[in-house]
Amino acid sequence: MSVPNPNEDNSELSSHFFGDLLDSIIVDVASECHRVAKLGLDCNLEEEEEEMRLSAQARADPGNSGETNSKYVVDIFGQTHPSVATEIFECINCGRSIAAGRFAPHLEKCMGKGRKARLKVTRSSTAAQNRYSRACPVSTYSNSTSTNRLSNGTPGVAGEEYSNATYEEP
Amino acid sequence: MCERNPLYTNPKPCKHLADFKLRNCFNGYDSLQNCLKTTPSGRTRVDKHNTKIPRCSFCNGSQGRLYMCLICSSISCSSHILLHTQSEKGHEVAIDMERSELYCCLCRDQVYDPDFDKVVVSKQVKDLPGGKSNGFEACRGRSSKRKRIDSGIGLDLKKSKLLISMRDRRAKSCYPLGLRGLNNLGSTCFMNSVLQALLHAPPLRNYFLSDRHNSVQCRKRSGEKLCLLCDIDALYSAMFSGDRAPYSPAQFLYSWWQHSSNLASYEEQDAHEFFISVLDGIHEKESKMLNSSKDDGDCQCIAHRAFSGLLRSDVRCISCGFTSTTYDPCVDISLNLDTRNLSPSDVANKPIKPADEKTGVSTLSGCLNLFTRAEKLGSDQKLHCQNCQELRDSSKQMSIRRLPLVLCLHIKRVEHSLVRKMSRKIDQYLQFPFSLDMTPYLSSSITRNRFGNRIFAFEHENSDGCAEYEISSVIAHSGMLESGHYVTYLRLKNQWYKCDDAWVSEVDEGIVRASQCYMLFYAQKPLYYKANEDLSCVRISPRRDPFLSTAGCSSNAK
Repeated sequence: MSVPNPNEDNSELSSHFFGDLLDSIIVDVASECHRVAKLGLDCNLEEEEEEMRLSAQARADPGNSGETNSKYVVDIFGQTHPSVATEIFECINCGRSIAAGRFAPHLEKCMGKGRKARLKVTRSSTAAQNRYSRACPVSTYSNSTSTNRLSNGTPGVAGEEYSNATYEEP
Repeated sequence: MCERNPLYTNPKPCKHLADFKLRNCFNGYDSLQNCLKTTPSGRTRVDKHNTKIPRCSFCNGSQGRLYMCLICSSISCSSHILLHTQSEKGHEVAIDMERSELYCCLCRDQVYDPDFDKVVVSKQVKDLPGGKSNGFEACRGRSSKRKRIDSGIGLDLKKSKLLISMRDRRAKSCYPLGLRGLNNLGSTCFMNSVLQALLHAPPLRNYFLSDRHNSVQCRKRSGEKLCLLCDIDALYSAMFSGDRAPYSPAQFLYSWWQHSSNLASYEEQDAHEFFISVLDGIHEKESKMLNSSKDDGDCQCIAHRAFSGLLRSDVRCISCGFTSTTYDPCVDISLNLDTRNLSPSDVANKPIKPADEKTGVSTLSGCLNLFTRAEKLGSDQKLHCQNCQELRDSSKQMSIRRLPLVLCLHIKRVEHSLVRKMSRKIDQYLQFPFSLDMTPYLSSSITRNRFGNRIFAFEHENSDGCAEYEISSVIAHSGMLESGHYVTYLRLKNQWYKCDDAWVSEVDEGIVRASQCYMLFYAQKPLYYKANEDLSCVRISPRRDPFLSTAGCSSNAK
């Protein structure tokens, strides 16, 4: 067989091989999908498509977006509520009368912020936490003890002993 | 409804395959065993001669698809396979040498036979290092370790608190019981949102409403003043009392801060972190009470009975295929967002145009696929292979060995940049279904897939539980990383309610679908439907008769 142009022949050859490889891969995938379909391993396709359709429909509706901060007039029980809760009760720690909406900041000061008085509790809770060992899809064997919380307060509070492999956010 | 028995359908053989089987019984496949070779990746080929390249007996070509006749072992390529059948009577069934699939030459289609698959699998098991234990589990019931999924946390109507709840005239009994706002005590929406989801998780609800944790007895027994479980119990009593004015969970906050002092601070916190912390508190307290120290997989505390599942991790040596398997209990699954479907503009965080929706939407199943995908570990993470006796490249694959009653899926929406030393929130929309089938993510499915989806009972199928789930509640987050807001959407008797701190409103399912989900709570189908039934039959009526439904309100409008 005469070889007029070496370069041309090579590129033909490589196209040929590439085509072969591609065909092989395509048939592989087709064969696999054929088995999956015949064995009924993908019988939920219709339901999945329906869910996707409903989702898309929901998102397309402008009334469904950005409603989190919409103003409420009355709730379903016909009640209205102020932006800061006004129910008054006694603080469990000190006994003072506090408004509900201000209870957390008061309690924090009242109990002493970042108190280490219950170290015993923290230690045992950490031990139990380690046994939860939620497996990370990212490949490590040990649980990473990253305390990558962002808080708008002082950084010292976020648990130095709190071994949690997730990424948190306030 | 939930029974999928078996997990695959056994396709009817074509006439030619049926004839072949009749004529050859099992002899047809036996000789094949010696020709099958399995690679470490789980792929099985037909390889008769280790040295010779298989060639078509008609054209001597070795490219394209090659088929080996099951009767005479002659090899033909896809162009000439029909010729072989025509020239030899009865030689109708062949095997695709590349993938070990049966091929009917007359139907010109791939066909399936459980007996053939059994032969293939036996060879696969023989070939892989580690033998039977390698990635497979014994077929026999693991009854000793099996946990009863229906752990009897039904609603005990006799003991139900609802019988002794107040006859509040403002009960507005048209709405489901337990629907009540929670006051924000100062940046505590993270807590309120999780509490709402927990309050309506069927196993927890049934447990506490059936008075399984009796505060009086608890105080007598332990003498401690503080008990997280007692506070949760008090919370249930208050929320299911029929009073609809928003409740302030102050005692609970105090109790929780005592337990998790490292999180005790006035600031916006992470809902997922709080969720874990509460479950931990429940577990700790119940373990103390029951005086048991069982590992999390078998723990009988209500937190674990409701949420605990078992994850399986397979690490496979790429060189030889040896697989080592470990199991870890978990109370939730944290998922990375699947960004692969997105077009470049989405990755740059620009708003998604409606036109892109068909192609560029992240889905929950995409995230679950990502979670259970076999992932090659980097070459800097070589592991010691027991079979090769040295460090090798490996791949790791996660799957779910046992599903919980209530499945909590946590979407990781925080992205850390090591370069910029910053974190940012990923606002990307995630599509999630209302009905979720977890079967493809089970260990049995993943293992089967790794070995070519053969018709073979690999492991103890997840027959002691249901893999079909219904969405029960959704915790959605809006706003920025450091100053956002959490709300919870509850699904009670097919009506969605939005719980935004003190504000409870009815919403359309479209709003829930379009929301930015952060935590998803799915309940097993039978559990979910039963819980809805319970809600309808236990009603407050003037005569305190739990089975008398209030006239005119027996069916919610929507």
